[in-house]
Amino acid sequence: MTDHQIAELLPFYANGTLDAAERTRVEAELASCTSCAAELRELQSLGAALQLRAGDAPPLGQHVIDDALARIAVPPVTTAATRLRTAWWGTPARYATAAALVVGVGAAAAAAYHAHEADVARTAQGVAVTNADRTTTIFRVTPGPNGAPVVASNHTPVGAADAPKQVAQQNATESAPTVAKQHRLAKKAQLELLVRDVEGSLKQAQSVVRAAGGDVVALADSSPRTDAATHEAKLDVEVPASALDATLDRLAAIGTVQNRAIDAEDIDATIVDEEARLRNLRREEADLRKLMDKGGKVDEILTVQQNLSEVRGQIEQLQAQHAHDVHRVATSTISVALTEDRPNAVPAKPGPTARIDGAWHGGLNALADTVVTLLTTIVWCVAYAPFPLALGGLAYLATRLLNKRTASA
Amino acid sequence: MIDADDRRLLERIARRDRVAFETFFRAHGGAVQRFVRDLVRDDGLAEELTSDVMVEVWRSAGKFGGRSRVRTWVFGIAHHKAIDALRKRRATLVPLDELLGAASDAETPESAALRADDRRRLDDALASLSADHRAVLELTFVEGFSQKEIAEIVACPVATVKTRAFYAKQRLRDALATAEQRP
Repeated sequence: MTDHQIAELLPFYANGTLDAAERTRVEAELASCTSCAAELRELQSLGAALQLRAGDAPPLGQHVIDDALARIAVPPVTTAATRLRTAWWGTPARYATAAALVVGVGAAAAAAYHAHEADVARTAQGVAVTNADRTTTIFRVTPGPNGAPVVASNHTPVGAADAPKQVAQQNATESAPTVAKQHRLAKKAQLELLVRDVEGSLKQAQSVVRAAGGDVVALADSSPRTDAATHEAKLDVEVPASALDATLDRLAAIGTVQNRAIDAEDIDATIVDEEARLRNLRREEADLRKLMDKGGKVDEILTVQQNLSEVRGQIEQLQAQHAHDVHRVATSTISVALTEDRPNAVPAKPGPTARIDGAWHGGLNALADTVVTLLTTIVWCVAYAPFPLALGGLAYLATRLLNKRTASA
Repeated sequence: MIDADDRRLLERIARRDRVAFETFFRAHGGAVQRFVRDLVRDDGLAEELTSDVMVEVWRSAGKFGGRSRVRTWVFGIAHHKAIDALRKRRATLVPLDELLGAASDAETPESAALRADDRRRLDDALASLSADHRAVLELTFVEGFSQKEIAEIVACPVATVKTRAFYAKQRLRDALATAEQRP
């Protein structure tokens, strides 16, 4: 190996990245070549100097991270309006809207009636979809009529959940001409599960959350003191917002879903406002620094220094708030409640007071039922009275006609 | 941060995980900023480029082939962006006299490790090198990359990296010697 070849390898020998074979060759040369050893010492000094110099380089500013975070905050396809515009049934729905407009007053009236019905259904199911600025978008799901949980997740077109979609479709169509708005949603979800083994399910839930890149932030496990008490546990977790739906689905699979809800708050305006205020404060800080650099009388410098310190304080406070809000968008929280499902548990025998109370309420309920049944019967009779009366009248007339004919004969 | 951690973060970034992105940024942003700053010799531009590099990581995380270390891939993006910015500015070689002011401004009282004069001479000597030579010195001695990794980052053959490292060191020594002789 020539001196030049060795010299070319020395920088990488100095930084410890040569492979074993090359390292052995270089070390063999170094043992016999004094100029090579001198060259290595120079390179090592140079490396140390460059590293010291690198240590003095300005640190990464929070504003650089904030800038990139703002740039990657492209609205994810999570808002109800966007989903509705892009959903497979969106096109037929738009045609249906156009057709309704063409048909005229009658069809419009029918559409209004259906909208009203959808509104009623939405209220009845506890589902609220609102998409105005700074308002809350809520999807709530309750157990269906057959006892099975109705999962009104954003992609599941089931039963009553279609009604609010139609309403939201209408809202989306109405707001279509406006400029597309960026939504930054801070989402919270609740999940109530009935499980056989709370402890095992708790571990399962924790591993699901960890697999999704999330963390457990609170855990309350109340183990039962007696056999009669039910084992319950509560778990608050944070997961990346993008993994919320998938994590909820995986958590739901652990037990029988009693309740599943997602609340989302649009905090885009708050974040934009914070960013604008931060920019202004930083500009102000830069101006104050320039003033400081210019120098002047001691009292003037002290005043500028005081202002600078106040502005820095405000910047740091706002940065913390901004980071918190960005974090709220980036991560979603899920509150999971696990309750032990004990179908074979023997119900505790009620005490005498409870039995008397039960009898009293049972009697009152029976009386109320009787009164309601009676009143219902009367209302039915009144409602159907015209029919028997009309029939009776006809029978009377027919009888009289028959009698008259018999008499004349 | 070990490469396995970087890969996990990159997978999460590909799934649009902003928390992972921020973690990744905090882990590598400082080194990227330092590297591009040495190439473009402009603090403001270096910050912009760092942001550009990380946004590119966000966009292309799903395309990372996994053939190299994640860090090598990121420095490859950084090098490409910095060279591109230099081309646009037509400032691959900044005259030494213009840099004397900038180098003095960059002095901080904390740099006790290097004496002010030595530090200034080193800054000036580095400034007189081409961006290619500065890049190879920075990647070798500050970031600790191997010849193959540097070849991947700066997109040239390994032999060229070795030659550049050799000549970069020679020119730096010459520049330092010249500065020493100057009154």
